[in-house]
Amino acid sequence: MSFSTFTTPTGFLLPSVHSAPPFFTQQPYPGTNATVTEQWITLILAYARHRKLFVLRVEDAEITDNDWQEVVRNERINRKLLPSYLSSIIATMVSKNLATYDPPGQTRSALLYWRLPEEWAEVLHGWAISTGQLNTILTFYEIADPPIPSPLSNIPINLLRKAIAVLAKTGRSQLIAVADGEGVRLFQGK
Amino acid sequence: MHKRGGVGLAAFDRQEQSKRSFAELSTQLSQSQVDNLHAQLNQFRTALAHFATTHRDSIRRDPAFRHAFQQMCSTIGVDPLAGPRKGGWWAEMLGLGDWQYELGVQIVDVCVSTRERNGGLIEMEELLGMVSKLRGVGSGEITEEDVVRSIKTLQPLGVGYQVVSLADGRKMVRSVMKELDEDQAVVLAIAQQEGGRIVEEILVKRKGWTRGRARAALENMLLRDGLCWLDEQDEEYGKAYWVTSAMKWDI
Repeated sequence: MSFSTFTTPTGFLLPSVHSAPPFFTQQPYPGTNATVTEQWITLILAYARHRKLFVLRVEDAEITDNDWQEVVRNERINRKLLPSYLSSIIATMVSKNLATYDPPGQTRSALLYWRLPEEWAEVLHGWAISTGQLNTILTFYEIADPPIPSPLSNIPINLLRKAIAVLAKTGRSQLIAVADGEGVRLFQGK
Repeated sequence: MHKRGGVGLAAFDRQEQSKRSFAELSTQLSQSQVDNLHAQLNQFRTALAHFATTHRDSIRRDPAFRHAFQQMCSTIGVDPLAGPRKGGWWAEMLGLGDWQYELGVQIVDVCVSTRERNGGLIEMEELLGMVSKLRGVGSGEITEEDVVRSIKTLQPLGVGYQVVSLADGRKMVRSVMKELDEDQAVVLAIAQQEGGRIVEEILVKRKGWTRGRARAALENMLLRDGLCWLDEQDEEYGKAYWVTSAMKWDI
């Protein structure tokens, strides 16, 4: 008997460690725990990127039928990630700046950084240039839910706000209050 | 009236002369012996050099030949790695020292890079496979004996690499400074048969251990040595230990 990789219905290739029963238990030995948690983090970020998932909640390990089913459960070996362990994994991700608690002040839900805010800033700037939308006022809604799908489709507003803040540092963005909320104007910059 | 070696003053001269002659003769004799020995040594050296150059490739490539060569060396009392210089004269001639050290480095490479998932204990077979992959040679090119020998050359570094034999004859290479006690060796052997999974009950049933002894051995491996992973969702017993070095991965 050996552990193998598995391709999920959504076309994601799960690593072989995902078919090992003890992978789903938090390890008491610190060295082992660090290794296994590291593997979980890599897996979570890869899956988030694959499905374009931005949010991970402790709740995702408690209830069935959510976007994370394929990862937090393995029906083939009858194992599931326990909420306490998921909570600890999320805490580790936050400490490594691979996620941030969102909204702040709680530890049950986090925004995942499979792209860092700095990277999202460049994606946003590049998108504005390629679609000819520099120097015009864009609402957050127009960016997160554009008529033509973009890499920024469905980006959480809090993450978008961080990306805009990064661009503001180099004079490439300016926040603007618009009638129905917030907007931004993007510039070419130097 | 004259007697040889008679009593006159001339007798002294004669005695001195014959003493000198004897000394000369003896010098000549030992000189020729030394010369003879030198000649023999040179011959041996040439023959050895010839052997080394002709068979160098076979020794490095062919495990059977290497084995035979090393056996020959130990029979005649020559250590292929010994010598005043780094790898020894003999090793230099064959390039065997480099080969052995190189293998040693690759063994360390594999042991260190797999330590995270096997806790510093790797099965000989897996190690051979991974080293062969590193060298880009087919399996069977590197033998268990080569690995054991290379590990011996690592000894002066004091890194604690050790070959551990299990009860069923299988061998494992340990790359962490930890003593493996007898109970742990038994646990390892059973875990190998079980694909890695082990529970107290197996040890109690098969080995007749008390529950306390079984638990102590497993908890030590888990908490003290980091050789196991814990599974708290085991269907049968609720709690199972997985010996990482016995788990098989298709990568």
